[in-house]
Amino acid sequence: MLEVKNLHKSFGTNEVLKGIDFQIDKGEVVAIIGPSGSGKTTLLRCISFLEKVDAGEITFGELHHDMAHITQREIRRIRFDMAFVFQSFNLFRNMTALGNVMEGLVTARKVHREDARKTALEMLRKVGMEDRAMYYPDQLSGGQQQRVAIARAIAQNPQVILFDEPTSALDPELTEEVLDVMRTLAKEGTTMAVVTHEMRFAMDVASRVVFMEGGVVVEEGPSKRVFLEPKEERTRQFLRRAYDAE
Amino acid sequence: MSERIIEILVSSFTQILIPGIKVTIPLTLASFALSFLLGMVLAIVQVANIRGLKWFARFYIWVFRGTPLLVQLFIIFFGLPRLGIILDAFPAAVLAFGMNLGAYNAEVFRSAIVAIPQGQTEAAQMIGLNYPQTLVRVVLPQAFPIAFPSLFNNLISLLKDTSLASSITVIELFTTAQQIAARTYEPFALYCEAAVIYLAFSTLLTWLQTWLEKKLVWKTKEKYLVAEEQA
Ligand SMILES: Nc1ncnc2c1ncn2[C@@H]1O[C@H](COP(=O)(O)OP(=O)(O)O)[C@@H](O)[C@H]1O
Ligand SMILES: [Mg+2]
Repeated sequence: MLEVKNLHKSFGTNEVLKGIDFQIDKGEVVAIIGPSGSGKTTLLRCISFLEKVDAGEITFGELHHDMAHITQREIRRIRFDMAFVFQSFNLFRNMTALGNVMEGLVTARKVHREDARKTALEMLRKVGMEDRAMYYPDQLSGGQQQRVAIARAIAQNPQVILFDEPTSALDPELTEEVLDVMRTLAKEGTTMAVVTHEMRFAMDVASRVVFMEGGVVVEEGPSKRVFLEPKEERTRQFLRRAYDAE
Repeated sequence: MSERIIEILVSSFTQILIPGIKVTIPLTLASFALSFLLGMVLAIVQVANIRGLKWFARFYIWVFRGTPLLVQLFIIFFGLPRLGIILDAFPAAVLAFGMNLGAYNAEVFRSAIVAIPQGQTEAAQMIGLNYPQTLVRVVLPQAFPIAFPSLFNNLISLLKDTSLASSITVIELFTTAQQIAARTYEPFALYCEAAVIYLAFSTLLTWLQTWLEKKLVWKTKEKYLVAEEQA
């Protein structure tokens, strides 16, 4: 459903993505793992066009584009069916939780206010934040903010949601509440690409795992297979260190 | 103080205060409104990186911050008629003060806008907002409270700078004080009186600023309590 081919991205002379192929099917949960600095965030940001891409092709549903020569209009069309959950939540600080979830519906999608409100409350209920609807982001814990951010993402009814380390800015005791929400979404068949350091979550929830290092995909496959019998030595080393850390 | 001076001060007080209220304050507010709009536009074309306009904005700011306000005032009131543009004293003053302060307010807005974390813009774009919507719904509402104290300081400076309008025949607070001083030969008393009235005006503005700043912040304790009750 979403496929990116031969993606290249440099920051100055630093080549961060060296020809990445990435693909995700409808209903699939793909975990992207790898050491820090390997280009995972950049990959998601390129897919969502938050970074300018040097070269690559994207196929998203019916749409097909050369990623390096894409218009702002085409980008908006792609984003219409794509959501992003940021490591640092990025809730609009001038809006309540409810306002955050309603904003895209009302302003971008021109949904009637009352309908948008209903949808938004439903989404907040889904992430267990209905009772905090009138709170501003500053009045919420990190875990609560991230759950609102997820509500904001699913409210757009996207084809795919990209998660960039959604729990790594959180205190350990707050990560579970966010992971629980993501598990629920996965069970409902939501298509998700998740950059994560939560190995247990990746093993349980992801159908497929992509291991990146140094701007290339080193290994990928069904999550059980990659976690239990990694083929590549580098994957094995990374997983051993990750398990030790947990 | 002699009785004569006290008498002059008392009788001149309302004579100075009335043009203060009728001219100085409207002049200040109209000029500020112009400078606010102009500053906003000059800031937005810079952060939005609109090519020709960005260059124009930098040039404008360079010129208006780099030349004296009094000279700008003279160019507009005494100079422009040479080009066939004749303005009354009051609109000429509004134009000069507004255009001058616009350059300063542009910098205030610009630095407030760039202080908004990029993540806010990115989140807005990911939920489908276009650039103008992102500015109006997300960036400016957050930038405004940051800009507010500096904008208000500029407003208070403007209030005092409007006394320069006396030099282009606008009959405002200070012009009136000058006239009475000339008539009574009591410049010290009259100019001090004018100063006291300016001080009163700017003190009122400072109070207004404190009051508004409390209203502006969206994460106040009161709002928290309201949220608590509604929840
Ligand atoms: N905006 C940027 N400007 C310059 N270099 C960047 C930028 N973003 C990321 N990088 C560099 O790209 C590399 C990959 O970063 P990133 O994608 O964040 O890795 P990961 O998410 O896997 O930790 C790092 O070397 C990082 O320093
Ligand atoms: Mg990262």
